[in-house]
Amino acid sequence: MDLPLLSALFLTGALCLYVMLDGFDLGVGALLLFERDEHQRDQMVDAITPTWDGNETWLIMAGVTLLAGFPTAYSVLLPALYVPVVVMLLSLGLRGVSFEFRYQTVKFRPRWDVAFAAGSIFAAFAQGASIGGLIVGVAVEKSTFAGGPFDWLTPFSILFGFTSLAGYTVLGAGWLHLKGEGRTKDFALNSLRWITPAFLLLSTTTCFFAPRIQPAVAGAWSHHVFALIGLAGMFLLTGLGITWRARSSGFSFEIEPFIGGLIMVACTLVGLVLTVTPDIVPFRISVWDAASPTASLVFLLLGVLFVAPVVIGYSAYAYWIFRGKTPKEGWGE
Amino acid sequence: MPDAALLARLQFAFTVSFHIIFPTISIGLALFLAVFEGLWLKTKDAVYLQIYKFWLHIFAMAFGVGVVTGIVLSFEFGLGFAKFSKMAGPIIGPLIGLEVLTSFFLEAGFLGIMLFGLNRVGPRLHFFATCMVALGTVLSSSWIMAANSWMQTPDGVAWVNGQLVVTDWWRVIMNPSWLTRLIHMLFSAYLTGSFLIAGVGAWHLLKNKHLAFARRTVSLGLAFAAVLIAGEMFIGDILYGTMAKYQPAKMQAAEGIWDKQSASPAPYLLMIIPDQKNQRNAFEAGVPGLGSIWLTHSLNGRVEGLQNTPVPDQPLMGWVFYGFRMMFLIAFAMFGLAAASLWLRWRGKLFSTRWFLVALVWMTPSGILATLGGWYGSEVGRQPYVIYGLLRTADAISPVPAGSLLTSLMAFIIIYSIIFAAFLVFVMRAIRRGPHEPVDVPVPSGSLKRALRSQIKTSVLEKKQI
Repeated sequence: MDLPLLSALFLTGALCLYVMLDGFDLGVGALLLFERDEHQRDQMVDAITPTWDGNETWLIMAGVTLLAGFPTAYSVLLPALYVPVVVMLLSLGLRGVSFEFRYQTVKFRPRWDVAFAAGSIFAAFAQGASIGGLIVGVAVEKSTFAGGPFDWLTPFSILFGFTSLAGYTVLGAGWLHLKGEGRTKDFALNSLRWITPAFLLLSTTTCFFAPRIQPAVAGAWSHHVFALIGLAGMFLLTGLGITWRARSSGFSFEIEPFIGGLIMVACTLVGLVLTVTPDIVPFRISVWDAASPTASLVFLLLGVLFVAPVVIGYSAYAYWIFRGKTPKEGWGE
Repeated sequence: MPDAALLARLQFAFTVSFHIIFPTISIGLALFLAVFEGLWLKTKDAVYLQIYKFWLHIFAMAFGVGVVTGIVLSFEFGLGFAKFSKMAGPIIGPLIGLEVLTSFFLEAGFLGIMLFGLNRVGPRLHFFATCMVALGTVLSSSWIMAANSWMQTPDGVAWVNGQLVVTDWWRVIMNPSWLTRLIHMLFSAYLTGSFLIAGVGAWHLLKNKHLAFARRTVSLGLAFAAVLIAGEMFIGDILYGTMAKYQPAKMQAAEGIWDKQSASPAPYLLMIIPDQKNQRNAFEAGVPGLGSIWLTHSLNGRVEGLQNTPVPDQPLMGWVFYGFRMMFLIAFAMFGLAAASLWLRWRGKLFSTRWFLVALVWMTPSGILATLGGWYGSEVGRQPYVIYGLLRTADAISPVPAGSLLTSLMAFIIIYSIIFAAFLVFVMRAIRRGPHEPVDVPVPSGSLKRALRSQIKTSVLEKKQI
């Protein structure tokens, strides 16, 4: 069995789950900045409070799988992305403590909300910019990072950063539309009206520049023409659909824009995976060249095989417990 | 500018020291929360629920800070120590991977139910959630102690083509120091919890407020402390032997003695100013003769000093010595108080002896300080190796310029200081406010609902009290 490929599949799965789940958390965080009413902001935070921790755990899962399964890639990627990763970690830290800390104070709650929003925005941006930097290319010599601290910072990576921020915000607005009532739901609908076209525009621009900046992207795309056209079509139709519905009659089902957002983000992720496969450091190091010895992959994958289904089971159960509308007065104790 | 190796170490030391404070608190509190909720379910006594809710609130804050500072660590192996990650990733990576799978998800999944689900799932399922979170903290400790103990006493691996390859996972996990160090760490966390709840209870007793709450936490905290500290000292003694066998340099440094063989009888040093360069102490003071009795279990045995280890393989004595001394001395104070508590309990004066309660208040953060001290001794004492005997720390670092490391270190210090200050302020405020008021009290501008609801809750609770 191709153990490195299986490990890479699990890594991809963990990363995609992270982007979709913490994506809407970070999106809700970013949207806090656009809501002036403090009570409304309480509602928005309440909508993600019970489940954010589990969502963020997928990021740790992905990071640790990279360390366990592909130590060579881990030891190249983290030094290469030192600056955006540190920015992301500090941002996630500020945002994470704000969940608890904002309720502890009346006077400084607006400041914690700013920390919450800024943390969400910078984390989302740093994640996108990191991927953008990887597409542009990392300097690798003898399986070791051989570049400078700001190699990742290019106009393309900045564009990628804004694209992922916009994508997360679409997810966040979709989630609020599902969980919120009254003013919160209206706010979500209003946000979808401008953030969905912004996401469409930004991702189209990114796709336009990607093959021009990194010829290997063009090469990879030529191998998957039909799949990519299908993905792009689905992405565009869903995005236009959400925009149109948000701007005209509104949605028939409250879950509609969230599902739409998930479809859009999933299309982007699948496209990204098709573009870089089979590399784990894009266009530099392949999955097989970076993989751990067999003994380590077997141990990891056996753990995944037996434990991951249980994890997904009770994580889904936790979502089920907190299903339906977020209570107006918060979750209480 | 300091060199990159030192900065990478400083950054890791700072972020990991900061982090360990919070898991220590949450491992300890999780056990007590399970106990208090269990007692509440069994006795239906509202005071236990009141205690549970009070400490749940502080637990939530500590847990939150622990989560976000823990995420940092899972990436920091690569940020600062890329060569270590490349070499050790295949060994410690799967261990931490299993930690995430078996523990982090478990904690995260049930934490939401524990914090916000009491009204949604009913008391029994809620108690189950509390137990799952407590179990998660124990599983997490087991895996991470396996990873760390493997770095201290590596086993079960072989060099194949210049790469470390696991030959026996059982021996990697069950490495020679794992079980002892795991029990030692769990006991530390539970002692931390005991003194935390007993100290806060004692403070309320001294203020003559929330007496039912305070008496029960003081009583239960001290009962646990009495058992735990005895066990901890026993385990500590075994661990001392294990580490003296596998890492003699660490234990040599821990006693503050340089000469290959100390004088006979050996003193038990309490204060030293080590002069590493000249391999001597510029100043030393201690209790004559106690070192022989304590360390060699004889009246005039000699203690081995750091010069038995070649200079390039020596750790910095000052850190190891003071780290372990801090831990030892706090453990002694804990032992003394636990012994006093048994006496006072027998005489029925546990809640009315003023000096004792004052001492308890001072000991509130003692578990955290002892844990930090022990970890400093343990981690600095392993130097100059990052994987003992296999990889030197200086050979483990990332190809990252010192400027990046210095900038990020300062950023960590600033953000962590803000987080720590806020945490302290909020915890102190919660303690001062005491258990009665429900926890989500602050009234947000624009809505009176929360305020009204908490008012109702408060009055209901007060009625139950009467």
